[in-house]
Amino acid sequence: MLASRFLRPLSTRCLSTAVSPSGGGSGTLSLFSPSEEHVGLREMVRSFAESEVEPQALEHNRTETFNLPLFRKLGDLGLLGVTVEEEYGGSGMDATACVIVMEELSAVDPAFCLSYLAHSCLFLSNLNQNGSHEQKVKYSPGACSGEIVGGMCMSEPGAGTDVLGMATTATPKGDDYVINGQKMWITNGTVDGVNTGDAFLVYARTGEARSDVSMFIVEKGMPGFSLGQKIENKLGMRASMTAELVFEDVVVNKSQLVGQLNGAAICMMRNLEIERVALAAMSSGIARRCIEEMAKYSTTRKAFGKPIGDFGQIQKMIAESYAEYMASKSYIYNTSNNLDLSSAGNVMDSDGVKLFAGKMAKDVADRAIQVLGGNGYTGEYRVEQLWRDAKLLEIGGGTNESHHKNMTKWFGKAGTTLP
Amino acid sequence: MRVLVGVKRVVDYAVKVRVAADKKAVDLANVKMSMNPFCEIAVEEAVRLKEAKKATEIIAVSIGPKAAAETIRTALAMGCDRGIHLTTDARTDQELGPNSVAKLLAKVVEEESPDAIILGKQSIDGDFGCTGAMLAEHLKIPQCTFAATIDFDAKTVERETDTGTEVVSFPSLPAVFTADLRLNEPRYATLPNIMKAKKKKIDTKAADSLGVELNEGNTVLEVFEPPPREAGIFVDDVDGLVDKLKNEAGVL
Ligand SMILES: Cc1cc2nc3c(=O)[nH]c(=O)nc-3n(C[C@H](O)[C@H](O)[C@H](O)COP(=O)(O)OP(=O)(O)OC[C@H]3O[C@@H](n4cnc5c(N)ncnc54)[C@H](O)[C@@H]3O)c2cc1C
Repeated sequence: MLASRFLRPLSTRCLSTAVSPSGGGSGTLSLFSPSEEHVGLREMVRSFAESEVEPQALEHNRTETFNLPLFRKLGDLGLLGVTVEEEYGGSGMDATACVIVMEELSAVDPAFCLSYLAHSCLFLSNLNQNGSHEQKVKYSPGACSGEIVGGMCMSEPGAGTDVLGMATTATPKGDDYVINGQKMWITNGTVDGVNTGDAFLVYARTGEARSDVSMFIVEKGMPGFSLGQKIENKLGMRASMTAELVFEDVVVNKSQLVGQLNGAAICMMRNLEIERVALAAMSSGIARRCIEEMAKYSTTRKAFGKPIGDFGQIQKMIAESYAEYMASKSYIYNTSNNLDLSSAGNVMDSDGVKLFAGKMAKDVADRAIQVLGGNGYTGEYRVEQLWRDAKLLEIGGGTNESHHKNMTKWFGKAGTTLP
Repeated sequence: MRVLVGVKRVVDYAVKVRVAADKKAVDLANVKMSMNPFCEIAVEEAVRLKEAKKATEIIAVSIGPKAAAETIRTALAMGCDRGIHLTTDARTDQELGPNSVAKLLAKVVEEESPDAIILGKQSIDGDFGCTGAMLAEHLKIPQCTFAATIDFDAKTVERETDTGTEVVSFPSLPAVFTADLRLNEPRYATLPNIMKAKKKKIDTKAADSLGVELNEGNTVLEVFEPPPREAGIFVDDVDGLVDKLKNEAGVL
């Protein structure tokens, strides 16, 4: 791995964390890398991210294309199935391992990282927690290797935050279910812009009550399953493909039903918890990169005869960013280290970390542009992309307002005694 | 064939080093450390030999502080079978020089009797580039340094030289090989292998327990940063350029 990195000109070596004040950047055990495996994982992903993901980021975000060959390399490294049990082709690690991968990939290319999230967390980890042995045998190994690219379909044109207001239905018919409806904003909905992605976990209404929702596995090529619009010109996350998927009398065998009939609301909630912590980790990666860029620039750029880092206002932006980043990061890892992927009921903190980290990263990215001045406003310096990408984290996986709602509701259930 | 590889923990190649306040060394506080890139190439070569069923066991040896165990762990995650850690508090970038390292490695080789010893051609901190040669000399065995390809069947090594490469043959094993940049491109340790590495064994003993006299002879007097590059100038015309090259730079 290093030989190629070693040969690369200095300009691409910009990401190295020369200094890791908290000890979290390398080597030693810490809140952020609580076991030797986590330490090794972080080092490996960071090294891969810097030498292989970073060089392609600008181009793929410009052209709004998904880098499938690079994605498959994540499979070779055992990262796609990070939380999937070994017997199904995964690496069998925990929520913190997922968070580490997210954070490190996001520091170089949040969009690529978002596609990773949809596949590894929303499809694979979701299936791993809620699917049957047969379903996992059928889909997990191919998804862990990257042979197939998966996603998860929850949102619809008419129902986002109000997810249980979904209109897509699955109607029983003999041994089958017939799915009708549209799903919107689906990450990995297409990976080539022409066809649908390979496999999806699709939530659909199966009963009268509001929470009568079930989950099905739908595969590319099933009659009636097609790509609707490919969503172009997103503000950020442009190297991750987002699409509308259309279901017209899609017949799926009942063996494709994941979990209990009408029992998917709890699966959804459980999966949203790890999704939100993972999205918070994306914010953390964005912030780290922005702070590194700011700190570096402030020592080299001179104005009025001295480095701009000598000016109090610049110092304020860097120092506050670092403190907020560390506060957020500590909250994220404190949550992930205690998150059991098979449980539900961690809403307070899974929503809390995303709420806090999302704003933190957006603010930090904004300051990074400010510190870099005109350069910050242009693509080459990367921070303008990170600024655009950061905004998604206040919308995707639940809007800020949905977190406000969930968290305040939690007080009603759990009382007001805080840790 | 059993292979022994050396893996050194050094300041990561991408770190911009700072000189310590006392000007006696590079400041290592809070600096990211990694496996020496040339050692990674050595490890990769050994792992490929094992994958090709030419090697049966790979032993990774590191001499260094407690944290060098992490470097061995990385080697194990890349595919080495077990590790040997010789602990020392001496700074391996300048206090423990190549001859001390060569003598320590010679002890390990005598104990383990590997058929091939593959080291990096140099470490990127001390930059001596002579540990491999010294090791072979202490052991009185053949050496092939700066290897660009190693062929154990034909018993030949393609070596990097200043003017290209040359192919040399080595008479017999055991022999010492040092890896140059083009020998291979090291892999990333995969997550499953990172997890397996934890279960592999690392033998730890104090470097000063091997009965080797560790003294270098060299004392570092001062460490300083290279002078910053001065701003360039514009010359008016070709004559001006030729004049400068002749009379100031002295290159014409
Ligand atoms: C790039 C991208 C990728 C995505 N990937 C996926 C994916 O892979 N799978 C998937 O299923 N979905 C995906 N989504 C969809 C995402 O989860 C939704 O966009 C999000 O949940 C918000 O839903 P909405 O867009 O319908 O907004 P709406 O729900 O219509 O919200 C509009 C506004 O109203 C506010 N609002 C709504 N209800 C309330 C309330 N009760 N109280 C206060 N304010 C409220 C919202 O907070 C927001 O500010 C993705 C979205 C994007 C942009």
